[in-house]
Amino acid sequence: MEKKAILEIKGYSKSYGNGKKAADDVNITVESGDIYAFIGHNGAGKSTTLRAVVGVLDFTEGEILIDGHSVKKEPLACKEITAYIPDNPDLYENLTGIQFLNFVSDIFKIGAEKRKELIKKYADMFEITDSLNDLISSYSHGMKQKLAIISALVHEPKLMVMDEPFVGLDPKAAYLLKQVMHEMCDKGTAIFFSTHVLDVAEKLCNKVAIIKKGKIIESGTMEELVGSQSLEEVFLEVYDEE
Amino acid sequence: MKNNNILLLLKALMLSTSRINIYRNCKDPKKRKKIVGSAVGYGILSAFLLFIVVWMCVGYGQMGLTGVLPVLNALMITLLSFFLTMLKTNGYLFKFKEYDMLMSLPFEAKTVAGCKFLYMYLNSALFDMGISVAILIGYAIYARPAVWVYPVWIVLSLLLPIIPMLLASFLGFLIAAVSSGFKKRNIIQIILTFAAGFSVIAVRVLAEDMIRNEKTEEVLLNLSEIMDKIASFYPPAKWFEDAVVRGDVLYILLLTVISIALFELVFTLVGKRYREINSKLKSHEAAKKFKMTEQKQRSVLNAVAFKEFKRMTGSVVYFTNNAMGELLVVVLAVASCFVKADDMLNVILQGAPISKEIVYPAIPLVIYMLLGMVSTPVVSLSLEGKNYWIVQSLPIDKKDLYKGKMLFNMYLTTPFMILATLCLGISFGMPFVSIVLSLILGFVLLTFSSSWGCVCGIKHFKLDWENEVEVVKQSTGMTVYLLPNMFATMFLIVAAPALGFVINYNIVLIILILAAAGLTALCYGKVLKLAKNSDI
Repeated sequence: MEKKAILEIKGYSKSYGNGKKAADDVNITVESGDIYAFIGHNGAGKSTTLRAVVGVLDFTEGEILIDGHSVKKEPLACKEITAYIPDNPDLYENLTGIQFLNFVSDIFKIGAEKRKELIKKYADMFEITDSLNDLISSYSHGMKQKLAIISALVHEPKLMVMDEPFVGLDPKAAYLLKQVMHEMCDKGTAIFFSTHVLDVAEKLCNKVAIIKKGKIIESGTMEELVGSQSLEEVFLEVYDEE
Repeated sequence: MKNNNILLLLKALMLSTSRINIYRNCKDPKKRKKIVGSAVGYGILSAFLLFIVVWMCVGYGQMGLTGVLPVLNALMITLLSFFLTMLKTNGYLFKFKEYDMLMSLPFEAKTVAGCKFLYMYLNSALFDMGISVAILIGYAIYARPAVWVYPVWIVLSLLLPIIPMLLASFLGFLIAAVSSGFKKRNIIQIILTFAAGFSVIAVRVLAEDMIRNEKTEEVLLNLSEIMDKIASFYPPAKWFEDAVVRGDVLYILLLTVISIALFELVFTLVGKRYREINSKLKSHEAAKKFKMTEQKQRSVLNAVAFKEFKRMTGSVVYFTNNAMGELLVVVLAVASCFVKADDMLNVILQGAPISKEIVYPAIPLVIYMLLGMVSTPVVSLSLEGKNYWIVQSLPIDKKDLYKGKMLFNMYLTTPFMILATLCLGISFGMPFVSIVLSLILGFVLLTFSSSWGCVCGIKHFKLDWENEVEVVKQSTGMTVYLLPNMFATMFLIVAAPALGFVINYNIVLIILILAAAGLTALCYGKVLKLAKNSDI
């Protein structure tokens, strides 16, 4: 499959009123079929960057392009092909699971037949079909996470942005999500996600970027970066060096 | 704006906060029972409110003032919509929980903001319509209007709140835009909201003062002329009257077109900076490096109360809702130092020949009317929201948790009650014994407010809210707390001085203290019982 840049972050910076930078000249390119891990300590700027990519957070400098569209200038064109799963999904608590999935499907204009097929497929896969008629407020954190994942999958995005997607998932669901990520990447979807689970990142991803105090300190293919070491060793090494 | 998207989002928002949806899909019979109970409660209270407004209109009708009712309706809806929107805008348009989820979906920023506005409008429409229909009933009894007047009145009453709500929202947006540039943005936002609110109140009071010249009789005689004068300041009120009285269809069209155009204009402007302002409001700047200094140990109750203080100052909606009464009390106290008691009485009683001793028992009740209409324990439990697990997992007795929440309300209100009672007592020349009795009554009333508020807060506990405004302004707990409390206080403000004609005012104060203490004891006992038996 021909590789194509789906996400291009060029010189992205985000600063606060006091001049402190949450992200400083970040440059990342995620191509179709990539599973790209974004790692760093707590507060390093991972979530800030992800939220800027999906158009939730405004930013001061640089440019973010999704499939050639500017997040700043054409936010709708970008969002139509992007799915975002936050670390702690705040969903509409008083909708039922199925009502929420229908809401998202309506927004993405997914036809009745297709949505039925996809919702069934993923709800069965993540084993929450029986609970789709329950109010989201009665869901556990993991179930909310699964629902957010399904809502992201039903519109078959070109770019999937996930913030700590494995947190709160049971082992089976985590395994299934990894399978789905592989499937999607085979179809050409680009996946960009943050994680603290370095073992998972190492096994799952073909590319990685390490961020520290808002700056990218290492990035590249997993093979190049890790070499004969483990990602954990490389991470600790570069973090201590900087 | 993409109408299809706005409708989809609006439908989801309405559904996600609709009690009918919760009732249909909830499997917990207790929760379902609670929903039915609160619906019945709302029904009774609404009927009561409706009755009061109809009664007021009948009064106008009997005085031969039916003609002022259309303008009165327009002005009441306009003013209520403006004030309530100004207090709610911050919570509805900014910093709402599902912001990330919505903004990551393919919606334009102005669609999200506009939809939040429409949601706010629909939520208040029922209340506005209640008032409007009640006034229409009063109008219909005396004016016997033609059949076409009824639908025109209803349609226009639905349109009337839009312009003031848009103006208030835009003002709220400007306040958020200005405050987002500051480090202490919450405090700036609170100060600006209060400043804007008080400026509007001041303009209104000045206008009223200019018009009525403090003469009740003249006011009543020239009421329709006065209403026309007020309406001339705000043309939509006049349009409403012209449409309803003379059947001028042009004004219906005019109001519709202007409302839609203003909506487009406001949300095009808001949409341009919506994401930027939300980003700034939601961002947390890193504080200066922490240095360990001496730390303070607090008692369990004070620790809970302090946590509540931080919760309140961290939320513009929570703070403005609670501090409004305190601010008004300070204004009243300061005013009493500069304005003579006789002059104040003259303004309040419109020159009625009543000696100031008679109103002594009403003074602590008036202060309570300002301080006790909101009570932090009503909302503080629900406002824990997702963080409720923290207090649940701590080794703290529920009784102590509730006591801490009540204690905070006492800390918040008591100093203001003491200040106002002393200032007003001295200004009115109250004897020392009466001042002491007034202070005791004030304290007992605030204790009642805290414990009754706590009962309502526990009974109508709700963690799964979408927006703080739902808890602070629209919760069942708040309605159940407020309405009986307000009507009882209003009744007592009139009844207590009337009783003073028959018995000594100090005895009236003692009776009120005993009655309030009895009610407080009942409520406090209920709180302790709920702490033992409640499953929250």
